[in-house]
Amino acid sequence: MSQISNSSSLKGKDLITIGIFSSIYFVINFIFMLLGGLHPIMWILMPGFIALFTGLPFMLMCSKVPKMGAILLMGVITGLIYFITGMFTVVILITFVIACVLGEVARFISGYYSVKGNIVAFIFFSLGMTGSPLPIWIMHEKFMAQISGQGMPDSYIKSLERLSSPVMLLILFFAPIIGAVLGAWISKRLFHKHFEKAGMVTNAS
Amino acid sequence: MHHRSRSGSFLDPRTFLLLLLIANVITFSQISLWIEMGWIVFVDSMILLSGKYKMAVKWILLFCILLLLQYIVLPASPEIIATIFVILVNYSIRMFPCLLIGSFMMREISLRQFVLAMRKLHFSEKLIISLSVTIRYFPAIKEEIYHTKDAMSLRKIKSSKKLEAMLVPLMMSAAATAEELSAAAVTRGIENPIKKTSLLTLKLNFNDYACCVIGCLFLVGTFILK
Amino acid sequence: MVSIQGVSYGYESRKKILKDINLEIKQGECILLCGESGCGKTTMTKLVNGLIPHFCEQCELEGTVRIQDMEVASTKLYKIAESVGSVFQNPKSQFFQLDTDSEIAFGMENQGKSKEEMQSRLQNTVHNLHLEKLLGRNIFELSGGEKQLLAFASVYAMNPSVYVLDEPTANLDFSAIQSIKQLLRILKQNGHTIIIAEHRLSFLYDLLDRAVYLKNGILIKVYSKEEFLALSEQDRKRMGLRCLKEEEGELPKAHGAGKDIGLSIEALTVGYKKKCVLFNNISFSAIQGEILAITGYNGIGKTTLIRCVCGLMKQMGGQILLDGKIMPEKVRRQQCILVMQDVNHQLFAESVWEECKISGDGLEDSVIKSELKQMGLLSYADRHPMALSGGQKQRLAIVTAILSCKKILIFDEPTSGLDYATMIMVSTRLKKLAKSGRIVIVVTHDKEFMLSACDRVLKI
Repeated sequence: MSQISNSSSLKGKDLITIGIFSSIYFVINFIFMLLGGLHPIMWILMPGFIALFTGLPFMLMCSKVPKMGAILLMGVITGLIYFITGMFTVVILITFVIACVLGEVARFISGYYSVKGNIVAFIFFSLGMTGSPLPIWIMHEKFMAQISGQGMPDSYIKSLERLSSPVMLLILFFAPIIGAVLGAWISKRLFHKHFEKAGMVTNAS
Repeated sequence: MHHRSRSGSFLDPRTFLLLLLIANVITFSQISLWIEMGWIVFVDSMILLSGKYKMAVKWILLFCILLLLQYIVLPASPEIIATIFVILVNYSIRMFPCLLIGSFMMREISLRQFVLAMRKLHFSEKLIISLSVTIRYFPAIKEEIYHTKDAMSLRKIKSSKKLEAMLVPLMMSAAATAEELSAAAVTRGIENPIKKTSLLTLKLNFNDYACCVIGCLFLVGTFILK
Repeated sequence: MVSIQGVSYGYESRKKILKDINLEIKQGECILLCGESGCGKTTMTKLVNGLIPHFCEQCELEGTVRIQDMEVASTKLYKIAESVGSVFQNPKSQFFQLDTDSEIAFGMENQGKSKEEMQSRLQNTVHNLHLEKLLGRNIFELSGGEKQLLAFASVYAMNPSVYVLDEPTANLDFSAIQSIKQLLRILKQNGHTIIIAEHRLSFLYDLLDRAVYLKNGILIKVYSKEEFLALSEQDRKRMGLRCLKEEEGELPKAHGAGKDIGLSIEALTVGYKKKCVLFNNISFSAIQGEILAITGYNGIGKTTLIRCVCGLMKQMGGQILLDGKIMPEKVRRQQCILVMQDVNHQLFAESVWEECKISGDGLEDSVIKSELKQMGLLSYADRHPMALSGGQKQRLAIVTAILSCKKILIFDEPTSGLDYATMIMVSTRLKKLAKSGRIVIVVTHDKEFMLSACDRVLKI
């Protein structure tokens, strides 16, 4: 008699695996979030940096839980923690949900075991973090009005304009894409070097 | 979130969630600093009433410092420094209503209470299980990193390999823990489809109703001023 | 109560882990599953608590396992959980909550028990198992032993009739083992059936009713209590079992401080901050050619002491000298190597061979080969360290410590997961190591190992 517990819904073990890797993902994410406070540019590039360094927990989670809903849960958990601690606005929860649904679609189409599919999913997933600096643009008008009302010099306001320009918005969205591709590449190498040999992941190709 | 399981927190987690949502609305609408300051005074008095004096003083001081930076120090400081800090300071002031209520909740509500509140609000059981494992694993990550650091400082690890040497054991142990924790979970019936119960009781009391009413007043105020 | 009939188990295409096992267990019996590492005793426990076949993917199971009228293979895990409670090896990975009270209630909450029932069962559990001191605490501040007791309490609160225990004492010190023993005695008096896989036998001798001896997945013999306890020393060693009764014997005391040769610890005070002093004014020395054992009740304290000796933390007072010279922390880190209790933290490389290569500068292949061979690891040279079994990892960490060529070697519980043969292997190697002029300190509560390997003992 053989038993293969590969039913499509998430079971206790899957949920716990997702929970643990989300924990690691969040800690790495949080470290870069703090670094983002150093300089506005860092903040805008932050989603990219996070993608670069979180490929490993994300890809491991994907290979451990080849089921629908895994990414969505990871994203919602991250967004929810940031939201309930009051560190970010509700925008981050919304961007994460959108990003993760797209990621889920990518995995669904690629059949959950494909490395390429998981990389695409990771790119989408990483875009979820853009919800953190996004309020700069959403609240742009009021923000600028307030700054000029403070009596800052013109040159200064110009450089701030540049920071919150549409070009920067593009950078905000491109950084995580590049970061995610690199991050996935790094994690693929580490998979090969460690995790496959250790018997931790079996289905990576 | 802390470890205490005692019931009888100052406010119910559901009230906190409502206040958090209202704080978000205030942050986004940005009608006037006065509403924001009013909110901060309100939440800070709640913190005082709950007996967390140190915390209340700390946060109000922090807010004053931020205001001082924004209106007096930064406009007078050199441009390079100002560019670095102005967005951060501005954003922090914007986020302050959320941050304050969020930190208050972290101090006041235990993981257990939050889980129970999520159940009462009909969150998905899947999310609840995963999220509580995530929070439970944070201290474990700290322990892991602490031990791995020890081991690394006694062995010669090339600095180019340090990050790998840190991450790989962390991932390995995460995978192993996931396996072991799951075994322990299923043998304690986590997959039981029956409606889960809780040792704790959540009940809305006077504080909750009062805070909800005040919170709604802020909401109304925001819309009227708009 | 529990009936295992004609069970074989294994992964496809690989060799069977269990072969044609037949065993009937009566209500209220305490059954010991024993044998060398890898004999299949842990797998046996999984047959009963349902992890096989429900939790293990792609495995093949033949035969049937029944608990009363319930067939394990066709019953849902949460249903099995109502009559079978499990406690596992690793105290760190068995809890779900941050506080102890809710952890005890966790299983009951999953079963949807009413609040009143949970309250009264929680009280009962704490009262019956004498665990009042565990209530209302942060789990991350508990010692390993307390965590393990908490796992028992959580299971006990669910009131199962069968307890399945998989090496519950593997990571615990002497006093913690005594409390587990006490707890098992209570369970047995209450008429619970206990199935326990263990390699540490000395705490079980007066509890067990029968002992099942396994070898390479085959049930060799079921011993009655009398037969088992009457095993001769030779037979028991040949079977690869650890001692059945606590070994008698004492070692001479550690040298006092002030030796010009070797490591000398003088008036050392260790702790975190002023309030939490773990050791006050402790002095001893360890010299070349001898192995010093450090033993004692306080689990956290010993680990802190050796962290301080290794230079991983500053002392609050006193000095540490090597050959009469004071060593500050940085020098200590250069001179010392530590093999941790949980070796998973200190294996970094992608293969066993590579792990050895990076543990010292310019190591010759022949040296590495000979070290691996002495520890029975040569045939695993190409494996990833994390693909090894627990005992093999422990030995690999010992090999890397030896290869580091550092002067002072400190081992924290190096034998915690080892069966008799491998324990002797480690003991022999450490003795040789000490003879070659290195300073060897072993933190252990494994009396059998201590008597076989060490020369002196420091009790703290």
